[in-house]
Amino acid sequence: MAGNPACERFIPLLSPYIDGEVSPTERVNIERHLSACKACTGRAADLRAESGLLRVGLEMAVDEVDFKDFAQKVMARVTPEKPPVLERLRLSLSELFLYHRTAMFSSLATAAVLMLVAIPLLMGNRAPVGYAGERMTVQAVRTYDPAKLAPVVMETDDGSTIIWLVDQDAHSHGASPVLGDEADSDELELEEAPAGNTAPKPPPAQKEEPAPKGGSL
Amino acid sequence: MATDDLTLVKRVRGGDQRAFKLLVERYQRKVYAVALGMLKDKEEAMDVSQEAFVKVYKYLDHFKGDASFYTWLYRITVNICIDIIRKRAGAGGEAVEFDETMPMDVSEANIGALGSRLGTNPQKSALRRELAEKIQEALAAVPEKHRAILLLREVEGMSYEDLSRTLDIPKGTVMSRLFHARAKVQKILSQYLELDEAKSGVGSE
Repeated sequence: MAGNPACERFIPLLSPYIDGEVSPTERVNIERHLSACKACTGRAADLRAESGLLRVGLEMAVDEVDFKDFAQKVMARVTPEKPPVLERLRLSLSELFLYHRTAMFSSLATAAVLMLVAIPLLMGNRAPVGYAGERMTVQAVRTYDPAKLAPVVMETDDGSTIIWLVDQDAHSHGASPVLGDEADSDELELEEAPAGNTAPKPPPAQKEEPAPKGGSL
Repeated sequence: MATDDLTLVKRVRGGDQRAFKLLVERYQRKVYAVALGMLKDKEEAMDVSQEAFVKVYKYLDHFKGDASFYTWLYRITVNICIDIIRKRAGAGGEAVEFDETMPMDVSEANIGALGSRLGTNPQKSALRRELAEKIQEALAAVPEKHRAILLLREVEGMSYEDLSRTLDIPKGTVMSRLFHARAKVQKILSQYLELDEAKSGVGSE
């Protein structure tokens, strides 16, 4: 440690002194000490040399690096070319909701109706346990009394039965429609519908799924 | 006249990407220098520099205009570096904690050696170059928080006030850490000088 007790006070101040971070009064005191103390003058010179070395050393290291593409690379990382998948999905859904609400609801409704028809049909093919794989046949289809609906029954080649309910308001047959043959005009319309296990798209007016009754062996 | 940082920041906020590129180009070298001084590893320093700018861009809305843009940028850079250093330490590296109250370690024998041998004499540039190459090694011996201060002071020439704001520590702490960091670097450089002298067998050039 410094022999001169005054040095002990001044040594910690030399670093802020060379940085120009001491008050004017302190500066005067430090400089007065420096003029009388060779060791502290040497210390201050060392600090300045070191500071210069640090700058030169780091500059030399930085000069070795090519920064030509640096900014470009950073920009590529911050420019959102493609938002993340979830974000895109969310955006397109909200757009759909905002601008194509009607279309979305009608397609959802179609899908729902399709499910209502398709699921019982698919289930119908699976013979319930204990029924020995035999087909169940629909014996009767009824609607609730006040409904103005008429059923249309179609049979496919493999024996599946498709039952449609057709709104009757054009004809207004009265409170209790009866089976099959009465739904003449509507049947014509449906003849084009593809047969088979796939359920054809039902008319939008369909309101209720009939409860298949019977199911005896 | 170059557009000032805050104007550029405002433009970036307004959606002007080119303004951000200008900020990157303005600070890339200095940010890299700080990162390199902190980490010593060139590739890591490059990654950190990019990361720092990406983070700055991402959190630009958090930047309050009351401080300088660069103090904020350096704070982010230093914090990323310190995280990496701590992870290294956790992975088996050495974690040096510095005791602020420990007595100064200034080797008396070498007082003035660095200054007198380097001085400002251009003929001594070979030695200057040699020592400058030792700098990163010397820096690595300084604890990270002290290293950050020393780097920001030397690379950016930050005032003590700015250092205190950037690193969120009192001005007195800035002063004492800077002092200790310099003493440590000096000790290593002096040892190197001594070795150098012993090797060449002469006391002076």
